[in-house]
Amino acid sequence: MTHTASLAEIREFMIGHLTEVFSTMLSMTPETSEHTEPLQSASRVTGVVGMAGEEIDGVLYLHLTDEFANKATVAMLGMGPEDPVGEAEVNDVVGEIANMVAGGLKSHLNDLGAGCAMSTPGIIRGSNFVVETLPDVVRELLGFVCEGSRLVVELHIHSKGKMACYGNKDT
Amino acid sequence: MAIRILSVDDSRTIRLIVTRSLKPFDCQVIEASNGEEGLAAAASEKPDLILLDISMPVMDGVTMLTRLKEDAVLKAIPVIMLTAEAGRDNVLQIAKLGVRDYLVKPFKDQQLIEKVGRVVTLVKKPGP
Repeated sequence: MTHTASLAEIREFMIGHLTEVFSTMLSMTPETSEHTEPLQSASRVTGVVGMAGEEIDGVLYLHLTDEFANKATVAMLGMGPEDPVGEAEVNDVVGEIANMVAGGLKSHLNDLGAGCAMSTPGIIRGSNFVVETLPDVVRELLGFVCEGSRLVVELHIHSKGKMACYGNKDT
Repeated sequence: MAIRILSVDDSRTIRLIVTRSLKPFDCQVIEASNGEEGLAAAASEKPDLILLDISMPVMDGVTMLTRLKEDAVLKAIPVIMLTAEAGRDNVLQIAKLGVRDYLVKPFKDQQLIEKVGRVVTLVKKPGP
């Protein structure tokens, strides 16, 4: 039996789950945005979590602007406005948010019959970088706006075995 | 005497949230950042409860829990798993390991307090 997952369905799940993570942990409500292009010019902090299984491999990137990452750190750690925000704290918070977002996706894929293991989160810092996909990898970009800042979730999915991942937002 | 709670998580953020959530109560939070450190802290500190993450470097939470349950002295310490993975299979796997309860991330402080309060008696610190 082949399991199938449409990108539209994964996208819908991700929007709901990211909203839940942000509202629960940051008391912030992100809204979807039509702007899904990567945050190319802004200095950014990107949380990265990998997933690997027999049916599916994938990577989730959570791209945040530097400014929003700092704001999220203050909110998540309950810091005061004057408290100094260190790079290590920001990295840990962004990594943990990416971990929670990816954890929900992993559970969703698992329920679709595509069990996989998840890596511990990593962080990329920089500006003007683009993550390119390898052949046979489906790339999905989800844009959000939260507290006036853009954020982008970038998913790379490689379905194999009996799992088929099909469709994109243009089809 | 203060309740002693061991928080084992590779994320300092989560350990801070645990400490912050339990601050109003008469309890001491001990921290470890992976399963190996967690086992050592469990053996030396003999906590009343362990809050244990699953996905961690060096030694993950499932391995730590398995080792804990193999130890005649430590196996009685109740464990609440904290996990970002709420899938059915994951929850079943956790249940089989003999944990007292589990809490799925994201969570609110109050949810953590409620879960902890079902396992140990949380007493509020007297006001200033």
